[in-house]
Amino acid sequence: MSDSLKQALDLSLFWEYHGILLQGLVFNALVFLCAAVLALSVGLGAALMRVNHFFPTRLIGTLHVELFRNAPDYVMLVWVHFVLPLLIGIVIKRRVEFHPFVSAVIALGLVYSGYFAETFRAGIEAIPLGNLDAARSFGMSERLILWRIMLPQVVRRMLPEALNQFVSLFKDTTIVSLIAVPDLMYSVSMVTQQEMRPLPLYTGAALTYFLIILIFASGVRAFSERWRRKILA
Amino acid sequence: MSTIPRIRVAEVHKRFGPLEVLRGVSFDVHRGNVVSVIGASGSGKSTLLRCVNYLERPNAGEVYLEGEPLGSRLDANGRRRPRSLAEINSLRRELGVVFQQYNLWPHMTVLGNVVEAPIRVRKLRRDEAMAIGEDCLRRVQLIDKADEYPARLSGGQQQRAAIARALAMRPKAMLFDEPTSSLDPELTDEVLGVMRELAADGTTMIVVTHEMAFAREVSDRVIFLHDGLIEEEGPPKVLFEAATSERLRKFLAKYRK
Repeated sequence: MSDSLKQALDLSLFWEYHGILLQGLVFNALVFLCAAVLALSVGLGAALMRVNHFFPTRLIGTLHVELFRNAPDYVMLVWVHFVLPLLIGIVIKRRVEFHPFVSAVIALGLVYSGYFAETFRAGIEAIPLGNLDAARSFGMSERLILWRIMLPQVVRRMLPEALNQFVSLFKDTTIVSLIAVPDLMYSVSMVTQQEMRPLPLYTGAALTYFLIILIFASGVRAFSERWRRKILA
Repeated sequence: MSTIPRIRVAEVHKRFGPLEVLRGVSFDVHRGNVVSVIGASGSGKSTLLRCVNYLERPNAGEVYLEGEPLGSRLDANGRRRPRSLAEINSLRRELGVVFQQYNLWPHMTVLGNVVEAPIRVRKLRRDEAMAIGEDCLRRVQLIDKADEYPARLSGGQQQRAAIARALAMRPKAMLFDEPTSSLDPELTDEVLGVMRELAADGTTMIVVTHEMAFAREVSDRVIFLHDGLIEEEGPPKVLFEAATSERLRKFLAKYRK
């Protein structure tokens, strides 16, 4: 018993493979970054549709949010990786295959675009209408109002919630190992199969994720709090 | 006096659903004149002011800025066409609006608020805009707060910053929508003081207000609005001392206590 406990906490094996594992981690980071960019841009688009005056536009935005927020990310990932290429292949009459990295980015990006759309929307709706009236009274175009008046306020307001979503998106990048994207977890299971000693590797992986998220999140929080406080009375 | 008024409001009607807030309001504002609009809450004062720069589009009637209709124009074939939003935008930037709730942009410093529209809408160079902006902040005695964020300012300071922001666009007229109604009495005077100076400098102004002493002292003309119609209008001396309308006399009596 004490032997296996010692083994579980002995991280020398984890360290031995740090080259491969680091590569896996870089992959996690890449999936995270690309999925985050996709989620933010599609999420903003969906949020703007949801606050539109025109009902059909609003409906499309709502459908988007409900569809992707309520799909489990694992199911989404498998669907995007195996079913979506088939459908596209039928339409363009050619065999299509997604690189696992592409599937991972699309699946996670879409799922999180649903969450981000709601965060954006809450931020947009919190802006006092008079703020926009003032901008209009100066003859600002709608595009100028969006970029200069709305978004800078929305981003400040939504930061705390967005940070939580970034953290959970980063955690979720680990499920991409299921479709053989060589991320950290995938590398861990590969090494495990060679070494037959899974415990220290899993402990090492857990600690790695924990430390990265802790450092990243507290860094962002400290920075954003100082930045936000200026505008909130 | 030039024959074309700076602002002409002609037979403006505005409905919100079944509620007809303005039922045909007409008046002219000439260059350098101050027109005050008074009346009970719900009489349509604020809606009227919002119609003047098309923040609310009138259902009927038209507003003219130096003879140019805000809502429509003649096309190449000589037919009247409604203006696009871009065209309305290029006219409404000639009118500076000061709101009851100040409506400063909280994520910009005071000077940032003031130079935003001159840079982005008028396309002035940054240094030009800064010079004008600082000049406007000096006019409202707020130059020492140029780099503060609005949240750190008192209500009176925020409203003066909002006035500076509107002035920086060098507007053809200033529209004030109950500019002191959100302020504590001791902060009201600093804002009214700035407005007095603007009037003395010959600024064309429409002022929706509950400050009767101010309206009486500063205005060239006063309009009493009741139920979406002009009930009585005239020089302040006549309106405040010899009102013919029974409703206006009752309304004024409430302010004399």
